Amino acid sequence: MARYIIKRLILLFPVVFGVATLVFFLIHMIPGDPVEVMLGETAMPSAKEDLRKALGLDKGLAEQYITFLKNTASGDLGRSLHTSRPVLSAVIERYPATLELTITALIISILISIPAGIISAVKKNSIIDRLAMLSALFGVSIPNFWLGPLLIILFSVQLGLLPVAGRESIYHLMLPALTLGMGMAAILSRMTRASMLEVLNKEYITAARAKGLSNFAVIVKHGLRNALIPVVTVIGLQFGALLSGAVITETIFSWPGIGRLMIQAINTRDYPLVQGCILIIALSYVLINLLTDILYAYIDPRIRYE
Amino acid sequence: MLQRYFHTFIFLATSLFLLVSCKGDFISKKDELVAAFESSPTNLDPRLATDANSGRIIGLIFSSLLRFDEKLNLVSDLSEKWENPNPVTYIFHIKKAVKFHNGRELTAEDVKYTFESILNPSFLSPHRKSYEKVKAIIAIDKYTVKFLLSEPYAPFLINMTMGIVPKDDAEKAKRDFTIRPIGTGPFVFERWIADERIELKRNADYFEGKAKLSKLIFKIISDDTIRLLGLKTGEIDFIQNAIPPDLISSLSKDKNITILTGDGVNYSYLGFNLTDPVLKDKRVRKAIAYAIDRNSIITNLLAGIAEPAAGVLPKSNWAYEEDVTKYEYNPDKARRLLDEAGFADPDGDGHKERFRLVYKTTNNDLRKMIGEVLQKNLKEVGIGLDIRTYEWGTFYNDIKTGNFQLYSLSWIGIVDPDIYYSIFHSDMMPPNGNNRNRYKNTEIDRLVAEGQRVLSYKDRKKIYSKVQKIAAEELPYISLWHQKNVAAMRKDVKGFVLFPDGDFSSFKNIYKE
Repeated sequence: MARYIIKRLILLFPVVFGVATLVFFLIHMIPGDPVEVMLGETAMPSAKEDLRKALGLDKGLAEQYITFLKNTASGDLGRSLHTSRPVLSAVIERYPATLELTITALIISILISIPAGIISAVKKNSIIDRLAMLSALFGVSIPNFWLGPLLIILFSVQLGLLPVAGRESIYHLMLPALTLGMGMAAILSRMTRASMLEVLNKEYITAARAKGLSNFAVIVKHGLRNALIPVVTVIGLQFGALLSGAVITETIFSWPGIGRLMIQAINTRDYPLVQGCILIIALSYVLINLLTDILYAYIDPRIRYE
Repeated sequence: MLQRYFHTFIFLATSLFLLVSCKGDFISKKDELVAAFESSPTNLDPRLATDANSGRIIGLIFSSLLRFDEKLNLVSDLSEKWENPNPVTYIFHIKKAVKFHNGRELTAEDVKYTFESILNPSFLSPHRKSYEKVKAIIAIDKYTVKFLLSEPYAPFLINMTMGIVPKDDAEKAKRDFTIRPIGTGPFVFERWIADERIELKRNADYFEGKAKLSKLIFKIISDDTIRLLGLKTGEIDFIQNAIPPDLISSLSKDKNITILTGDGVNYSYLGFNLTDPVLKDKRVRKAIAYAIDRNSIITNLLAGIAEPAAGVLPKSNWAYEEDVTKYEYNPDKARRLLDEAGFADPDGDGHKERFRLVYKTTNNDLRKMIGEVLQKNLKEVGIGLDIRTYEWGTFYNDIKTGNFQLYSLSWIGIVDPDIYYSIFHSDMMPPNGNNRNRYKNTEIDRLVAEGQRVLSYKDRKKIYSKVQKIAAEELPYISLWHQKNVAAMRKDVKGFVLFPDGDFSSFKNIYKE
């Protein structure tokens, strides 16, 4: 196990290198000049030149790339072109907000989807099953930019229960987390249902029932535990996707997370900041996948990593 | 097992109770005002900021030698009075006992330092160009400061609306001054949570008397709908201009909300690439001007909150000239002009076009809709229009580099006719300035340069009246409209005055009933 983890961690380096290179060239390929955005049109051409020099943007692309790689390798992601703040601290400052939102969304979606999936599977083709799967279909299809405002109209405007936007208290977290969690709950409940249905047809379930175990024990201990393996994979993948995909939800609810930071950075052509955001997101994605793989071994003792 | 269900039930019930019991807590408090911005201010150092939202907050934290009143007249702020003994000398007498938020008294040295730091090339201020005619700044005594110019420069006084920073703190903080701004204004900077909010508290020592509200909170809510929903719930008290026109009617039906509109100083125009073989023909530009149904766009897309424009300067500007060529909607005249220019319609009213143009714009919804109306208007006179929308950075880059045929943009905060110099003087083609259309006219060049040197309002008015007449005849721009200012606020917010330039000066007098 330890060897496997070390192997996977070593593999991180080529991934980071690949992402860094791609991001660097992609962001530099987009037309637009950070100096123009920063100084505006009224600035003197000489001031623009001075700033370009001060930011190191006057050098060739190859030279900038090599400097960027060297600095990244030593853990220095550079400074934001706009605020002159170190990129790493800007990203780390925003990371907790995104993590808070994503983890809450994840918990909400698990709390909704796993029970829904189990009930649907056990009561296959019943009204409950159909209703649950229909809602899941809606959940997958409704885009966040629509669901968000709908929830606000219901919970904030009509009922006056929850705040509209911002990040001040736990109440501010609820609507964005619900918005973000709904889509995922839909995917997970369908996944749980399918997986449970497959498991419930297995012979060991019949054997468990023959032993005289209670229905609950059969479903949870023998059924769910086995059905969870593919669900955990999806949870891992979805968690990674949520981390990077919370951009729209963050924008709607003015949640000061990493997604908004990145969009802002792209709009102002803040090259180091865009690179930093994407690198950190990519790194999180890879690490979460690794965690998911490790988690398998605990859920399913048959899985061993060499 | 039952016990486990019981725990879940207790958890859910408690959450629900907490939810219900917190009802109403998000409504803004009586002694504070919560305003919403559509985008985050970028910089709170007056010497570095260029965007409008930064400017609004800076105006509350800082004071300047002069400021604009609600009619856009220059009035005293920090200066008791000012003199202009000869065309290149300005002397300001500063008010005594004005204190910075750090408790220290403001002196002539701070004024000198503020402008000298802008002029220092290594400070990289985007405003340096506005002060390039300043040759020397002399602090005569503690309360008197003298500016010497290299030549007479009429827009000089307008540039004295720059916020004054404290020398010691600004020097020490360098570029970090932007996140810890200290001024002499009615409100003191308290905290800034990036992309979420900026908080200011009342300055008890403000030299014109302390503000009525103890706190101002500016929330950054980029989604249009959400911002308005916040206003409806009372979580937000105030929004200015960041209201999409199509949502205004729904707001005006809400009896808890007051809406104010007033004339503004923003100008929307249609720009041409004058090096383009088709567009360099004046008759083609005139034809396009006649083909556009401005009134219909203003009524239907802008909810009436704009005035049709005949030139860059709004009617309220002292240099505004009424007697210029105007282009009312007249498709027949447009067709005739195009025929004259040699672009005959190949098949009369049929599908074939005289020629096609590319119109570039940003991916802003309203701009896209305006593009679609232009497309329809131009089609009626036989011109095909391809609309290309771009994300702002890309669009702006194309405009700067001349990679366009037609585009539409706005100039904001027009207070002095000197804007004509930067947009139409042939020396001002990018990258030197804002002559984006690459317009060249020796008479305009001469007039706009003279307009900077002549100091009397009367003489300047004559000069700019000529400039406006030539521009309306030559059409380097097609004037579209002057956007009005709109402010929407909760009914209990009183004392707000709408300024043409959107300034928040009246925030110090705002209170809640």
